[in-house]
Amino acid sequence: MIVPVMIFSINVQSPPSSQASYSAYQFCRALLRQGHNLHRVFFYQDGIYNATNLAAPPQDELDLYSEWQKLSKEHSVELVVCIAAALKRGLLNQEESIRYNKAGHNLAEGFTLGGLGQLIEAAAVSDRLITFGN
Amino acid sequence: MHKKILLISRHAPYGNSIAKDAFDAALATAIYDQDLSMLFMDDGIFQLLRDQQAQEISQKSFTSMLSALPFYDIDKLYIHQESLEQRGLTIENLIVDNATIVNSAQISNLLNHQDHILSF
Amino acid sequence: MHIIVNNQQLAVDKDGYLESLQQWNTDVATEIAQNENIQLSAAHWEIIYLLQDFYKEFEISPAMRALVKYTEKKLGPEKGKSIYLLQLFPPSPAKIASKIAGLPRPANCL
Repeated sequence: MIVPVMIFSINVQSPPSSQASYSAYQFCRALLRQGHNLHRVFFYQDGIYNATNLAAPPQDELDLYSEWQKLSKEHSVELVVCIAAALKRGLLNQEESIRYNKAGHNLAEGFTLGGLGQLIEAAAVSDRLITFGN
Repeated sequence: MHKKILLISRHAPYGNSIAKDAFDAALATAIYDQDLSMLFMDDGIFQLLRDQQAQEISQKSFTSMLSALPFYDIDKLYIHQESLEQRGLTIENLIVDNATIVNSAQISNLLNHQDHILSF
Repeated sequence: MHIIVNNQQLAVDKDGYLESLQQWNTDVATEIAQNENIQLSAAHWEIIYLLQDFYKEFEISPAMRALVKYTEKKLGPEKGKSIYLLQLFPPSPAKIASKIAGLPRPANCL
């Protein structure tokens, strides 16, 4: 069977402690394996917790945090974190940490902060937008 | 690109921030000029109740916020009939008078006509 | 960072938004406007009070489109145009006018 190549974007709305985040990651891997394009992964609501660089999961559990980073590196996938959702939950990059005069910053490498417009733009240019969570 | 997007809001207005996040996503969709419809179902119906006194729990009122939708040109609003009935409510209890009441069968039809679904 | 109004220091953030919105008064508005190179006229005040009404009614700071429509509804079609608001509060009316009116900083997402 010939599957037409499609452009996907993924919206992650649940934290890394949920099955939804893990499924989102697996889904990304699967669609890339099948030759589809992954335009962007957008992290919204509690999904933003996937982007912290301060999590230290046990050694015998999957480190989803670094899996996202690997995925982004290997396939040049954009990992965009909703800036408003991130700021109110205490996830900052250096620039926002300075802007709001906070003690530190904890956005992991490979992730960027962006507006909700990035989710809508992803919907506009993608054939499929898949939401994980809630 | 101009896509037909249906945003489904299924959670109660207070208790967690899901309904507010759905509202923010709706405004963003409208601002970025997509063809947006909104469907309220399950406990999402409660967002539309009149006279919510949310300041009593230090929250913003959905009665107020949702009243701003017309100013963002968000006017395709759908309300799930069964969700309304299950909660003993009628359209008179709600702040919207221009919404379309849809039953479950009509919802499948509504979903079929979209490019994307955003579910909250 | 801070601004000084009537010999009082008021904290503002890096972009000039008041940190404590309760400190807003008309003198504060005039000072914030000056920092944006805007001399407030009656036409400006009309929009500033309109924005405050919008916030009271809807509990959100309006995006540009909503501000234009609300202005049109309240003040008529002559003023309910982006070009009119742009002349008063360049270069970004919803943001600049909200800052002067003492509304919360608009969410970055929008």
